[in-house]
Amino acid sequence: MPSAAVLGPVVLPLIASGVIAAFGLARIDLGRPVAAVGAWSSVLALGVVWLTLRSSLELALGQLGYGSAFDLRIDAVTFAFGLMISIPTAVLLSLQPRAWPDSVLAMLGLTSAMAALEAGGVVLTAIAGGTAATLAMVLLDTEDPRAPRPSWGLLLAGWLALAWLGVIFQVSGGTAVYAAVPVTAVSVSAFALLAVAAVLASCLFPWRTWPAQLWSRPSLRSAGVVTATLYPLGFYLLVRGYELGGGRYPHAAFNVALAVIGAATALGAGARAQAAATRREFLGEVISGFGGFALIAISLGTPLGLAAGIVLLATAAAFVACLALLPDRTGIGSLLAVAAAVGLPPGISFGGRVIGIEATFEAGDLLGLIGIAGAAVWAVWMVGAARAIGLPGGRGHPANETFPRVAMAIALATLIAGPALALFQLGFASPVVAEVMPQSGIGVGGGVTSLVTVSSVLPVVSLLTPLLLIGVGIYLLSGSSAVRTQARPAIFALPTAGVERVRAAIATAAIPEQYRSILDLRELEAAAVGGRPVLWLAAVIALAFAVTR
Amino acid sequence: MPPESILLSAFAALTLAFALVFAPRAVSRRSLAVRGGVGLGAIIAIAVVPNLDLALLVLLAIGVVDAASAGARGFGARLRAPVLAVGLLTLAGLLARAEGPDVLARFAAVGLGAGLAAAVGVMPYLHPVEPDRSQPWSSTAWLAFIGPVLAVVLVARGENLLGPDAGGVFGAILIGIGLLNVAWGGVAAWLTDDVDAAWRYSFIADWGLVLCGLGLTIVDGRRAALLLLFTIVVGRLPLYVASRLAGREKTVTERPINLVVAASLAGAAPFAGFAARILLLRSATQLAWPLALVLALGMLLWLPGSYRLGQSLGLPRGRTAAGILIVLALNIVVGLYPLPILGVARL
Amino acid sequence: MTEIAAGLVAWVGASLVVLSDGRRGLALGMAMATAGLAAIVWADVGPVPAVLVAIGGAAAAGRRLTSGPAGWNVMPGGSTPRFILCVAAGLLAAWVAFGVTGGHGPGLRFAAISVVGLSVARVLFTTAPETVLSGVSVLALAVATISEFEQGGAEPWPFLAAALIAAGASWIPIRAADAA
Repeated sequence: MPSAAVLGPVVLPLIASGVIAAFGLARIDLGRPVAAVGAWSSVLALGVVWLTLRSSLELALGQLGYGSAFDLRIDAVTFAFGLMISIPTAVLLSLQPRAWPDSVLAMLGLTSAMAALEAGGVVLTAIAGGTAATLAMVLLDTEDPRAPRPSWGLLLAGWLALAWLGVIFQVSGGTAVYAAVPVTAVSVSAFALLAVAAVLASCLFPWRTWPAQLWSRPSLRSAGVVTATLYPLGFYLLVRGYELGGGRYPHAAFNVALAVIGAATALGAGARAQAAATRREFLGEVISGFGGFALIAISLGTPLGLAAGIVLLATAAAFVACLALLPDRTGIGSLLAVAAAVGLPPGISFGGRVIGIEATFEAGDLLGLIGIAGAAVWAVWMVGAARAIGLPGGRGHPANETFPRVAMAIALATLIAGPALALFQLGFASPVVAEVMPQSGIGVGGGVTSLVTVSSVLPVVSLLTPLLLIGVGIYLLSGSSAVRTQARPAIFALPTAGVERVRAAIATAAIPEQYRSILDLRELEAAAVGGRPVLWLAAVIALAFAVTR
Repeated sequence: MPPESILLSAFAALTLAFALVFAPRAVSRRSLAVRGGVGLGAIIAIAVVPNLDLALLVLLAIGVVDAASAGARGFGARLRAPVLAVGLLTLAGLLARAEGPDVLARFAAVGLGAGLAAAVGVMPYLHPVEPDRSQPWSSTAWLAFIGPVLAVVLVARGENLLGPDAGGVFGAILIGIGLLNVAWGGVAAWLTDDVDAAWRYSFIADWGLVLCGLGLTIVDGRRAALLLLFTIVVGRLPLYVASRLAGREKTVTERPINLVVAASLAGAAPFAGFAARILLLRSATQLAWPLALVLALGMLLWLPGSYRLGQSLGLPRGRTAAGILIVLALNIVVGLYPLPILGVARL
Repeated sequence: MTEIAAGLVAWVGASLVVLSDGRRGLALGMAMATAGLAAIVWADVGPVPAVLVAIGGAAAAGRRLTSGPAGWNVMPGGSTPRFILCVAAGLLAAWVAFGVTGGHGPGLRFAAISVVGLSVARVLFTTAPETVLSGVSVLALAVATISEFEQGGAEPWPFLAAALIAAGASWIPIRAADAA
């Protein structure tokens, strides 16, 4: 296969966006069909390259001008994250109606995100990821400038931090290409920068940030696309971090710290979810919750943890499409979505969380405690889910952008995919583990029916298939009549009043009266722009004095 | 002559052509051509003259012409900064060439650094604010039109005059002034009440990064400075002109184009400002990582101000909108693939 | 010795520009500064640059004699700080030129430092256009004189440019409305 094939997943959506724009300017709206073709062709191109070769394919086209070559590659990590990004995006672009400028921006966002994944080096990833972030802001703003959107500053800070990491590698290691950075260049300080960039890029915080806020927008067309294209990128950086560090992070403290952040993120999302006033609010926390659990698993530094994290992220990607298409009304679709999202057995979300928590215990030491915390958080989610079934639907996004059957099919697919966890792990997650943790051999052991870990064997088919059959049987016997939809009180109230008090105190903070004359910015500005020669000469004298020291 | 200066002269000519082609019909092309032509002539003269003294005389001449041109502000007030710059640079040239103790060369470095800052009009030598808002170009001509070429020429000539020790001092002074301008420009563009003042401070913030790049005295720093100057001349300046030409009737809007412009002004990817910032961080990392950290934190100051400036463009229509799109496209191309420009400048 | 004397004349001329508010005083100061600088240039560089300096300065001084506030008005009331400035600038320039720096052309260094410093100070601390332009003319001539220190020797071009600027600056029209 020619090296140029790696361009396919990036260039095809770019061409599609050009076609949509050209026709759009001629007042012919080809948005949805061409966007669908462009996005699915990206998926197809990625699949063809990886499934044909099952090994890395690279294309290097020379220097760009900032110490980085135009170097693209497709490997197992690119394939896995590429599918997590491109498939939900393709589903949303194929189904939801949108104006052609929105389609163009969405396709450009997909192009940038795919370029960030295919970039062979850190700097190129930073540029492509930063572009995806910029386009996400524009896309959200185009749809509704008053609706919630990410903090641009946080996103820019994340990608700027990654760019700095790239140049640190270039300076200290001679290159920022993932596969070529010397392990000695991946110092503790450098990796700290990577961790900061990753956390900021996906906004992995315990408080409510954009991955949850976007779902409260009046329309979920752009929210879905933005979450699909941006959210996995931070996790991608953490996975590549293993490749940079020769299969591990440079210090065990990173594993612990990131796992703690993950647990806090999952707990924060769970706490908000169990206190949600509407089902939409509950579902809005689902992606953050998945992100928290995935972060715990990925940061453990073990093959099993990484595989569990990839499984959880893939499930989250499916839920991005599901939540954007799900109408805000009571019904079997919502029920399935809630059940699948919180990890009800025998769903793949259940399996992913089980092996993720098991991985924490296998990792040992403090990480075991994080596993216990993860289990407790999961319990909070389960209780929250039971309560959410009885909550009112919420504001409701436009009916023409909802596709209840498709949403239900996605939720159902994640529920019945539990028994296929070993197969999924073998074909999807294990190559990622083998790519970034080469010392682990083929990754996680087992076959298509069971997972073999250090301490146990998890026969997923024989364990989860009966559960699935029992669940189907119960449903067939009772239908949805057993579902009680009365609202129940939250387990605990969120300390929102205290937070609001602190926020108000910060917002109203002012310089004490007696110091205002010293720190009056307007007077300072007036003095600076007054063109006073005395000030200028004083500056010259000060400089002259300084250079004689 | 430094190749960057020729390149920047070409960029300035491009921007003038942009203004002539894309300005609304109501704007006098003749006035624009005369003023811009004089400025462009001065830029080319500064770039091609063979020595520092002639460049200073050109600077003095253009200062007099600028001060004498239309405007309600006092002639003397407008001429102060260029004259101070010429005086400081002249004394710097004299001290650098004279025989004597090492401290003389250090004082020469001070004169060069302060003279450069005074000529361009950055902190602490801000040119007085133009009270006549009907003069959209005079207030920023030094910062965005003449300044870039002048800075490149002065730095190149200055480095030739100074030895290694004084060269290091010169670099340190430029970095110090640069950081001051990054902080001042970024915060002031964010907090000031006046949108026109915010534009001006945004130029100053950009200049802060330029001075840091020039002061870093390694090739990556020069590359970063060149790309930042590109963003000033071919990005911020035409967008500022478009904002001014939007007229009094303009309303602050929050359309996608405003956000894209804000991204361009903030130096977000994929615009040229991001590539420049990467190169700047790279050069700072090579010399001292704490400086890179300070710069990285300073770079975040651009966003709030840029958001506001992007909104000030209103909703551009017709030829102005076409011009803005061309500017944005150029900035994206250079942001993704800056090598040709760096190659022409032999960097 | 001639060079040092010429430097003193240039300093006195620049001081007169600083101390005068009337056109006669300004013109005399410009003429003296020009004469001093031209004499130094003649001695150190050659006759052609010196003549160029002289022509430029003479044209500027001549123009100043016909425009601006009437009279001499040398050292009007409240000009003590200016006087102190002139003396201090002269002393500082002399110390740097004769004491700190070495090599050839101490008179030239003294003249250049003192004239540049005083003319810049004049422009910085006044708003009257005629006075500002007088300072600019003298400054332009002083800038050209330091090209003598250029490696490979001075060429006539800086002197020609300086002469054109000095003369042109005095003739440049300043609209009254703008000269507030």
